[in-house]
Amino acid sequence: MEYALECIDVHKSFGRHQIHKGINLKVVKGAITYIIGPSGTGKSVLLKQLCGLMPPTKGRVIVNGKDLTSLNRNELVNMRKKFGILFQNAALFDSMNVFQNVAFPLVEHSKMSKDEIAKTVTEKLRLVGMKDVEDKMPSELSGGMRKRVGLDRAIALNPDIILYDEPTTGLDPIMCDVVDTLIHDTQKQLGVTSIVISHDIESTLKIADYIAMLYDGKVVLYGTPEDFKNTDNPYVKQFFSASKEGPISII
Amino acid sequence: MIRLLNFLGDHFIGIINTSGSMTLMFLDSLRLMFVRPFRVKLLFKQIEFIGVNSLTVIILTGSFTGMVFAFQSYIGFQKFGAEQIVGTVVALGMARELGPVLSAIMVAARAGSAMTAEIGTMKVTEQVDALNALGVDPVQYLFVPRILAGFIVMPMLNAIAVFCGIVGGFVVSITVLGINKTLYLEYMFQFIELGDFINGMVKAFVFGGIVTLVGCYKGYMTTGGAEGVGKSTTESVVMASVMILVFDYVLTAFMF
Repeated sequence: MEYALECIDVHKSFGRHQIHKGINLKVVKGAITYIIGPSGTGKSVLLKQLCGLMPPTKGRVIVNGKDLTSLNRNELVNMRKKFGILFQNAALFDSMNVFQNVAFPLVEHSKMSKDEIAKTVTEKLRLVGMKDVEDKMPSELSGGMRKRVGLDRAIALNPDIILYDEPTTGLDPIMCDVVDTLIHDTQKQLGVTSIVISHDIESTLKIADYIAMLYDGKVVLYGTPEDFKNTDNPYVKQFFSASKEGPISII
Repeated sequence: MIRLLNFLGDHFIGIINTSGSMTLMFLDSLRLMFVRPFRVKLLFKQIEFIGVNSLTVIILTGSFTGMVFAFQSYIGFQKFGAEQIVGTVVALGMARELGPVLSAIMVAARAGSAMTAEIGTMKVTEQVDALNALGVDPVQYLFVPRILAGFIVMPMLNAIAVFCGIVGGFVVSITVLGINKTLYLEYMFQFIELGDFINGMVKAFVFGGIVTLVGCYKGYMTTGGAEGVGKSTTESVVMASVMILVFDYVLTAFMF
C-alpha cells in the first residue's frame, strides 16, 4: 500500500498544555481518510501540522518522502502547493470577490492568460454547482456557498492532497449532503488523497475509506468504517453512540 | 516584592521578545523586497491608502500646527522685540521636528491602525493561513508592499505637512499678528537651510518604516478573535507613537 503522508511520533504543545502526545498515522494515497474525535482533541492543529502550517514540537511529518520539519521556508512554500486546504469557515479573502478568490492561486502560480483563468474559474465554479456568483463578495454568500467557493480555490491548482477542516460544521442536513457528495466526487474525479477532519459520524461512515480517531493526544483506533462499526474500543463506542457515559471525559 | 519583580521581569522579557521578532520580520521584509514576484499593484494600492487618503488629515494637522506655533512663539519673541524671527522658528520647528513627528503619528493613527485591524482580522479568520496554504509567503504579500509604501509616502506627506505649516504660520503672522511681511520672509530664508529639510525627510523616511512595520507586525501577531483584533489595533497605535518619539530623539541626537 502506498502512503501519501505519514506522521511519526508527532507531539505538539502550547506552553504547558500538551495537545498531541505521540501521533502515529499513515494516510493511504488516493483514499479518503477521516480524522475524528471529540472537540478540543487537536484535530485542526494536526491538520495544520500535516501541511506544514504549524511545526510539531517533536516528531516528523513525511510527505512524498520529504520530512516537512526539515524543510526551509522556501521549500515549505513550494511543498504547500501540493496541498489544497478547505478551512473550517472557508477563509475566503474578504477583500476579494468570488472570482478573484478562485483565481488567486492561478494568478500566483500558473502561467495562464487572463482569458484562460476566467474560463477555468467558471468551469471550477460550475463543478461545485455555482453559477453567476463571480462578482459577489464573500460576505454576500451563505455558509454552504462559501465552503464550495473555498473548495474551488483549494483544488484550483490540482493538488495531490486535499485537507478539509470540518467541512459540514454549521451546515443544514441538505447542505451537509451536498458537501459530502462534493468530497466524494472530487476524490473520484481528481484521484487525490483526501483528509477530512470531522465529528460528523454519519458523513464519516458514508464517505470514509479509512478513519482515525483521536483522543487524549493519541490515535485510539485506525481502520476502515467496518472496523469502527464492529469495534469494542470503549472510546469509539462512546463517541459513536453520542453518550456522555464512558471513558471520554467531558471536561 | 517577588510579585513585583516577576511582573517587571515578564515585562522586560516581553519587550526583548517583541523587539527581536519585529527586527527579524523587518529584515525578512527587506530581503523579500528584492525577491520575485514584485507586487506593484499592491504597492500602488498601499501608496493610495497610506498617502492619498491621509492627505486631508496631514494638510489640516500641518496648517493648524504652523498657525498655533506662530501664535505661541510670537508671545515669547514679542517680549524682546524679535517678532520678525517667528517665521524662522516656525519653519525650523516644522521642518526638523513637528512636520515628521506629527504627520507620522497621524498616519499611525489613521493607516497603521487600519493595517493592524485588516491583517489581524485576516489572521483570526485563517485568511493568513490560507495565503500560506496557497503557497504565498504572507510576509511578502502583506508586509512588503505596506512597508515599501510607508518608506515612499511618508517623506512626501512630511513635505506637505511642512509646507502647510509654514504657510499657516505665515498667514497668521501677517494677517492676525501684524508682523512685517518682508522682514518675516527675509529672516526665514536667511536662517533656514536645505539641511534642515533633509533632516526632517530622513526622520519621515524612518517613521514611515516604523508605522507600517508596527501596523503589520501587530496585525500578524493577533490572536483571540474580535477582542484580540481590537487589542492589537490599540497596541499598534501606542507602540508606533512611542517608537516614533524614541527614534525621533535618537535621530535628532545623531544628526544634531
